[in-house]
Amino acid sequence: MGRSLSDLFVFVGKRLLQLIPVLLGVIVLTFIVSHLDLSASTLCHEWYFHAGANTLSNCEAKYGLPLPTQFWNYLTSLVHGNWGAAVSGASVGAEIDVRLPATIELVLASLFLMIVIGIPLGVVAAQYSGRFGDHIVRVFYLSGWATPTYLGAVLVAIFVGPWLGLPTSGEYSTVIVPFPQYTHMSVVDAILALNFPYTVDAIDHLILPASVLAFINMGIATRMTRASMLEVLPLDYVRSARMKGLGEFWVLYKHALRNALITTTTVLGLTAGGLLAGTVVIEEVFDWPGIGQYAYTVIGGGGSSPNFDGAIAVVVIFAIAVVVANLAADILYGLLDPRVDWR
Amino acid sequence: MTDPVLDIQHLEITYTVGAGTFYAVSDVSLKIYPRQVVGIVGETGCGKSTLAQAIPRLLPEPPASIGSGKIVFRGTDLVQVPKRKLPMVRGTGIAMIFQEPLNSLNPAYRVFDQIAESIRIRHYREMGWVKSFQGGEVPFDYSKPALTTSVGGALTRSIVPDGAIEEAVRDRLRTRSEYREEVLRYLRLVRINDPETILNLYPHELSGGMRQRIMIAMALSEKPSLLIADEPTSALDVTIQAQVLTLMKELIDEVDAAILFISHDLGVIAETADEIGVMYAGRLVEYGPVAEVFRSPRHPYTKALLRAAPSRYKSDGPLSTIPGSVPNLSRPPPGCRFHPRCGLARPVCRGEPPPLAPVDGAAETEGRGVHRSACYFAEEVPGLP
Repeated sequence: MGRSLSDLFVFVGKRLLQLIPVLLGVIVLTFIVSHLDLSASTLCHEWYFHAGANTLSNCEAKYGLPLPTQFWNYLTSLVHGNWGAAVSGASVGAEIDVRLPATIELVLASLFLMIVIGIPLGVVAAQYSGRFGDHIVRVFYLSGWATPTYLGAVLVAIFVGPWLGLPTSGEYSTVIVPFPQYTHMSVVDAILALNFPYTVDAIDHLILPASVLAFINMGIATRMTRASMLEVLPLDYVRSARMKGLGEFWVLYKHALRNALITTTTVLGLTAGGLLAGTVVIEEVFDWPGIGQYAYTVIGGGGSSPNFDGAIAVVVIFAIAVVVANLAADILYGLLDPRVDWR
Repeated sequence: MTDPVLDIQHLEITYTVGAGTFYAVSDVSLKIYPRQVVGIVGETGCGKSTLAQAIPRLLPEPPASIGSGKIVFRGTDLVQVPKRKLPMVRGTGIAMIFQEPLNSLNPAYRVFDQIAESIRIRHYREMGWVKSFQGGEVPFDYSKPALTTSVGGALTRSIVPDGAIEEAVRDRLRTRSEYREEVLRYLRLVRINDPETILNLYPHELSGGMRQRIMIAMALSEKPSLLIADEPTSALDVTIQAQVLTLMKELIDEVDAAILFISHDLGVIAETADEIGVMYAGRLVEYGPVAEVFRSPRHPYTKALLRAAPSRYKSDGPLSTIPGSVPNLSRPPPGCRFHPRCGLARPVCRGEPPPLAPVDGAAETEGRGVHRSACYFAEEVPGLP
């Protein structure tokens, strides 16, 4: 059996090594797709003609080079930890440093909601399978699953937010005096500042975008939990747990769910990576200063000038997120199921 | 005379599957007294497992449903107990060892956690820290283990002599190491070698026989007043079967519980039980002290069953079989359910089902040790070939 800590390290190490070819592939593909039809003279004259001779020459110097040279330049700078820059000179790395934590915070918050609401709902659905409780839960998660993100986000921002008195824009209220942002996660920074009103304000701002993201994706958690609970409930060890004299709550949540979670975790891991990419619309609607909003900007959304280095960076980060979320799910799977061998 | 621990009266259980209704258990009455081992024997599908699981109301309802009858456990009719109160009777009141040791332990928890959980359930109930279930004519706490309360003077001796640790920590929450000590005691009780190692293993790391011992330890650690063993050895191979059976026999002497032992194996029942009930097609056809039933069966089915059992005393001839096949329980034959296959069958057998009546005109109709048979011609059975 390989279930010691060192086996786990080897397991994680191997998976991280697999990340390298994946990332390389993603970088090559996005680079080619974004630069293939690019002519420096068109690009630079269209966007930077009025920006001054300096920017124009910068643009031509960068995008006038042969494609392989451009790629080589990009790759070497990336290896040195430099995500590149927009033509205007704005650093992509600086943007990502600030925006990625904000998005991670949003995703974690909605993942938290999916877990604490979606999984128990799945248990309830399995418990009352085919009966009224099951139908109610199904209506709830299917209405989330069937809601287009843009529609859900906009409806919540326009109607639900004012009705609940919750803010629908940004991370903090404008009245808040700037304070040090150590992590760039709004709630965490407010807590680190030991400022209770700021923390409440940050949580208030987080609730709506996180809830929309969670509501739309909750179906996966609920449905998977329901399905795997239905698989587990007729098993002998559930009957043994009942026969021990445990109440139904402990039978369901300690004995059955513990095993049903093994499957649910895998699927949640797959979803978590996708959640990051799913934030584009939500961040734009709720003006959340995260990577999703940035993704919209770098491809020219809202009339901004296209930023190729930024676009590649966003795609690479989304790819990393998917792989890392999968890795996390694999590790969790191993922790949850004692039969998994890490070797 | 002491009161029975379990008194089943005219129990009827049906399964409704699709359009059909299966009469799995029909008119079964059975009494189990303290410190008594009752064996139920019968072929596959005769309703013995249904009966076993119906007692702690463990059958999924629906599809199963208890049509009529009573399951009186220490004074309370379990059929009338509301569903949410049933867990309070299970474990410390009635414990059960299942047929499938391979799947009966939770694969996600270590052996220690699973046994400690049982001990914790019992301890909390002993102390009255959790809601318990009161019922019966005399107000009596049925969820508490038998050994803290003495019923009829029979259930006084402890399964395991209470160690100093248990005494010392009786009225407070226990620490993990105190639980560990107690779990170790139960593992030693079921003769597990090297319990310190086994403690930290997961079920998938153990063999079938080991897992069944752990199931037994788990059941015993709740100190139940009734232990139901539903084919505890049939999923195991022969050598392990023998070990577990020996263990069960040893424990029966030590344990202060009444035991209902379900098996399709006549040999297993003969070795373990005091009294035996023979089931056929959902009905109890014969009941009596093991020796008597085996020596002079008074029901044609029992006789045929005993003849069909392979024995080392018999010659090498072909195994004897019972002609015909087990009836479909969705349309059971009228009257005595065995009559289509019976050599003694006469028209009366198609009428009213024969009652389970004492044989040889015994004066006593109730109580222990009375040999009873559900056959109109019980007196003629010994003459059957």
